[in-house]
Amino acid sequence: MIKYNSFTLKNGLKVIHHQDKTTPMVVVNTIYNVGARDEDESRTGFAHLFEHLMFGGSTHIENYDAPLQLAGGECNAFTNNDITNYYNTLPAENLETALWLESDRMLELAFTPKSLEVQRQVVIEEFKQRYLNQPYGDVWLQFRPVIYKTHPYKWATIGKNIQHIEEATMEDVKNFFYKHYGPQNATLVIGGNVEFESVKSLVTKWYAEIPARDKYIRHITPEPKQTETRRLTIERKVPTNAIYMTFRMGNRLSHDHYLGDIISDILSAGKSSRLFQSLVKNKKLFTDVSAYILGGMEDGIFLFSGHLMEDIDFETAEKSILDEINILIENSISDDELTKVKNKFQTAKAFQDQSLLNRVMNLAMYDQMERIDLINTEKGIYDSIEIDELINFTKKTFTPTNMSVLTIKAI
Amino acid sequence: MNRAIAPEYSKAQHIDLVVPKRIKLTNKIDLYWLDETQDDTVKLDMTWDAGTKYQSKKLTASFTNALLLAGTDKLTANEISEKIDFQGGYISQDLDKDQGGVTLYGLSNKIETIFDIFSENFSNAIFPESEVEKLIDIRKNGFKISMEKVSTLCRQEFNKHIFGQTNEYGKVASLEDFDNVKSSDLQAFYKSIYLETKPTLFLVGKVDASFIEKLRTWAESLGTSASKTINTGFKQTKGRIEIAKKDAIQTSIRIGRLMVQKNHPDYYKFQVLNTILGGYFGSRLMANIREDKGYTYGIGSGLSVLDDSAYFFISTEVAKEVVDNTITEIYTEIDKLKNEFVSENELTKVKNYLLGDFLRGSDGAIAMMENFKNIYFNNLSEDYYTDFIHAINNVTAKQLKDLANKYWDKAEFLEVLAG
Repeated sequence: MIKYNSFTLKNGLKVIHHQDKTTPMVVVNTIYNVGARDEDESRTGFAHLFEHLMFGGSTHIENYDAPLQLAGGECNAFTNNDITNYYNTLPAENLETALWLESDRMLELAFTPKSLEVQRQVVIEEFKQRYLNQPYGDVWLQFRPVIYKTHPYKWATIGKNIQHIEEATMEDVKNFFYKHYGPQNATLVIGGNVEFESVKSLVTKWYAEIPARDKYIRHITPEPKQTETRRLTIERKVPTNAIYMTFRMGNRLSHDHYLGDIISDILSAGKSSRLFQSLVKNKKLFTDVSAYILGGMEDGIFLFSGHLMEDIDFETAEKSILDEINILIENSISDDELTKVKNKFQTAKAFQDQSLLNRVMNLAMYDQMERIDLINTEKGIYDSIEIDELINFTKKTFTPTNMSVLTIKAI
Repeated sequence: MNRAIAPEYSKAQHIDLVVPKRIKLTNKIDLYWLDETQDDTVKLDMTWDAGTKYQSKKLTASFTNALLLAGTDKLTANEISEKIDFQGGYISQDLDKDQGGVTLYGLSNKIETIFDIFSENFSNAIFPESEVEKLIDIRKNGFKISMEKVSTLCRQEFNKHIFGQTNEYGKVASLEDFDNVKSSDLQAFYKSIYLETKPTLFLVGKVDASFIEKLRTWAESLGTSASKTINTGFKQTKGRIEIAKKDAIQTSIRIGRLMVQKNHPDYYKFQVLNTILGGYFGSRLMANIREDKGYTYGIGSGLSVLDDSAYFFISTEVAKEVVDNTITEIYTEIDKLKNEFVSENELTKVKNYLLGDFLRGSDGAIAMMENFKNIYFNNLSEDYYTDFIHAINNVTAKQLKDLANKYWDKAEFLEVLAG
């Protein structure tokens, strides 16, 4: 049971406090309601570039990192298609340092030309290092626009291409800040060895005077239902052929998400899983194959991916995965199999909850989705899932008209 | 309220090393146990002197370790996995150049059953041919993908030349070695090391006395010879080695040299020096090469310590066009630390950051056990962390400058470029 309190400032900033007396640390986490989904299609990669710029100095504080390090702290951030998240871990006595830093950059960035120039180069190197210079690195850059034709999920967080990042102007940067960053578009989560009263008074001290900007309301037209199988083949200098197969499903908050999560575990979690046993060990079609879900806040994807054994062709590989789905539908799932997956889930959750940072980030994510209650009720949702609803989900989701296939041919 | 003025902060003063209970299971096998935990989780590490330095043929240590639960006369690998998974158990197999072992994770109400499944099947492993062949396929594929990465090529080549290619620490596998893996080699390694030499056990979690009894019974079935060997005869190459990779758009760079280990009098202060150079986000290398020039997504330096040796290294991946500039800047930063004193401000910042880092690294029982294992495997005193913090607090700019001059002679470095 994860306990928390919350309050909201007049400027719209939602604040959540989670006390943990067993740790010497405090985590200060700020989640902003902006992600790659909010970008203009001709200006992609922006939310992520902006995340970098947030460390380039704010109006009153030239350097974000140095004062935090002086207080024994460490920080990092990440952006995805849905949100941008900033977190600091420091000794609990120094909570105020993190609040001073975070509140100043929420108030106003310094917007220096040097910062933009440098971070532009850094992000371009990141683009190369993680996506272009790695085997299979650009898979999602190629595959997203196949799965999503109109929805902003069609481009990756890093951006569609390097040119968009190269062309970003200071004007773009400033507009982005004023549109998306502000107390009314953020949740601040403070977790660790700190008292509620102390949190309330320090947060009020540093944040209450930050003026609210316009609340960001997004209007994204949902991606229409997929009505045909889609295929893309690309050739790359990689050691082996690979296949990716996706099926659309409900978003992170839908019941689909939990059903898909359990199905993906039944299919591919651990060495006793169906895909590993059947396709890797017994039939020797793959050297590795997995099933997992991508739970976007707007829409979900169920994904199969694998590297093929040397003399296996794509048709055989694809059919073998579809056959496993049919076996699941026809022969169903045993009680033991479901119990196994649920037991593994319980163990994993218990270990993950040991991390203060994990608890704090989860509180932030759930609050962004306006479902903070899930932090304690999600476990029960998994426990109560039954076999027939899993089979119905499988029948409904894994159909040809809901499928996209990317094959990567090794050259 | 003046936003330009930083709030007051306090320095982390000390961390308490929580020393686990030591329980002798047999005459020679030790169990270290931390039972003051906040939840129902249980983690059990079982570690042998079974690292790659003990193999006489490449890949033997890693394949043996990976296949410890791949089947007995009674159960197949799949059946064993099913049983463990059904209890909500997780198993990880861990290997480096010195140690090899197995870790069990589970909840306290299931851990005894999980351990029973583990011990029964570990003690009767037969390394079936079909499992060996399958793992060869899987690992070969992983190897091929990994060798496409400039960072892997660079690291491999650096490894070979920092220790010497004929030294056990310096040997690296090639694709051909995978096809030579044989079940008979694995069985021999398993018998002589995993069954005949003594492991050490590290347990974190609340368990009943009956669980400790199970560990005791199991320990009695194992051998207790001590097999630790000391690796010597390291030969570091000096100068530059370049590996070309067609079509790479970035080059991976590694620069370094053999160094002192954790019980050397220079170690603590050198760690402070290393942090300043490239050990955290505000380091000289990051500030120059990433934040000022934008050449890279990341650059850092570190000290890698093994049982019998250690090395200092700087590593990064940069656009091909700026490789020479990057190397120039790296040496510029090293020279600054050799020729100029670190300012009081910067020194304070780094000291405070390191103290905060110690706190972060001691958060929770599992982290505490990792701290203890550090002391155990490196033969350090129990005062290690206290002494380390004392050294950090008291190191002077002059001492750091002297250390930079002592250890950072360009002529002593190995440089590897890949891509």
